[in-house]
Amino acid sequence: MDDQTIDRILKKHNLYQCLECGKCSASCPRMLTGKEYSPRLLAQKLIEERDDEAFIESSVWECLTCGLCSERCPSAIQFTNFILEMRTILAAEKGMKGCRAHDGAIHSWIRMMTSPDIKQNRLEWLTPELKTTSSGPVAYFVGCAAYFDVFFAGIEVDTLSIARDSIRLLNFLDIEPALLENERCCGHDLLWTGDRENFETLCRQNYEEFKKAGISEIVVSCPECYQVLGHYMPEVVPEFDIKVTLLLTKLETEIKKGGIGFKPQPDKVTYQDPCRLGRMAGVYDTPRNLIEQVPELSLKEMESYGRSALCCGNSAFINCDHYSKLVQVERLKQARATKARTLLTACPKCMIHLTCAMRDPFRKGPLALEIKDIVSVLADSIEWTG
Amino acid sequence: MEKVKILGICCNWTPFACFNAAGMAHLQMPPNFRLVRVMCIGRINQALILRAFEHGADGVILLQCRDEDCRYGPGPEVGHVNVDRVRRILSIMGIGQKRLVEKSFAAHEKSELVDALWEFSEEIEKLGPNPAKPRQEMEAS
Repeated sequence: MDDQTIDRILKKHNLYQCLECGKCSASCPRMLTGKEYSPRLLAQKLIEERDDEAFIESSVWECLTCGLCSERCPSAIQFTNFILEMRTILAAEKGMKGCRAHDGAIHSWIRMMTSPDIKQNRLEWLTPELKTTSSGPVAYFVGCAAYFDVFFAGIEVDTLSIARDSIRLLNFLDIEPALLENERCCGHDLLWTGDRENFETLCRQNYEEFKKAGISEIVVSCPECYQVLGHYMPEVVPEFDIKVTLLLTKLETEIKKGGIGFKPQPDKVTYQDPCRLGRMAGVYDTPRNLIEQVPELSLKEMESYGRSALCCGNSAFINCDHYSKLVQVERLKQARATKARTLLTACPKCMIHLTCAMRDPFRKGPLALEIKDIVSVLADSIEWTG
Repeated sequence: MEKVKILGICCNWTPFACFNAAGMAHLQMPPNFRLVRVMCIGRINQALILRAFEHGADGVILLQCRDEDCRYGPGPEVGHVNVDRVRRILSIMGIGQKRLVEKSFAAHEKSELVDALWEFSEEIEKLGPNPAKPRQEMEAS
């Protein structure tokens, strides 16, 4: 990386405003689990000691991009955006791709989806009671659930249930969503591992598919897809004119209109804020309001929640190491400490990562608790009252 | 016939002995076939099989020992699980399950191994190129 590029990025992301207070390091989940990781030191090295490429590169790739440091930064430096740009440049210049978890299988199949000629069979899980169409004004973006269902069969995590329950909720609202047979991955994991070229290809291909099916609104349940379709896709496709709605937000709006109630669900739950939904999209209250609507469902917050929520230990399927596991263990301990029976989350990735940690044979007993997506709970209890 | 690329992932022990013996006996191999030799099929995970397709393979054949012959124990069983899962992923992706097969051999089965390679090669030639090649791979080939 040449000096000019670094200067430009530092300026763009306000890194010269760093006060060296170290709040970022003190709040970083990596640091809290004992790894020597410091966003502040990365800023300092980039300003004063650019020769230390080994340090700079490893710091850029080891970030969890959870955004907790930006939340605490008195200079409001958006560290995650900075990391994203650094990764994109390092990937383009040096072919770096981070240390991929699962040997890069997930990134492989996402990259394969950029092929223009594929004809996927990604909707075989649909059952007759789920009413869907193949084109129409409102679409539901399924995401990678069908793939995860096969790949993570070993840890028994049911990400397809999120898609099924989302469609049940939309059907309840009298919406028959269009599901696209040839929808591609949103490309989140390629974007965050620096593969900008393939990410942009996916964006354009998805936009074409949406247009072909005559879609004007896309409902998404996954926070990563929500962030990519709502924020990054319009950057890549300037003519992007499709409304992107989060399923939870849609539900909240519909419920406010009246006539919708919930059957009692006697349970104690706690809620994991996904980083892409909370700190990146600013959606903290919607899931909580929805949980509150369900009678006899009591929400107990964990020690760190909302803006301070702890990461699920991994993002974009890179850097899954011992420290990731420690973050997950810490998060599950917090969840158990609430005495909740069920851990609710809104992101399939949180579900996968936390389920994986629960299956640690040495810690299974004290950490395990039921984990569900919030849409599943809502789909099970929603009813008309009007 | 379209030119297709076939990758064989071959266990170092029984199947490689067969492959070697077939070479010594000058048995004709399919021309579009390349071999990667690994210590055991148990080393191969879902990601490595997928990566072969990602990097432009049109068919992948896993050449392994019989379950009871594995030098390390569970190698071929690991292979079965991986092949089963990856085939399901290939099916969702529209690549088709037929492009990934596993074959087990005993140490004397050199001609069976060569026959299996020819059979697979003809099958893949019938299917044509793998539709899910990233653009970069299509340009390279």
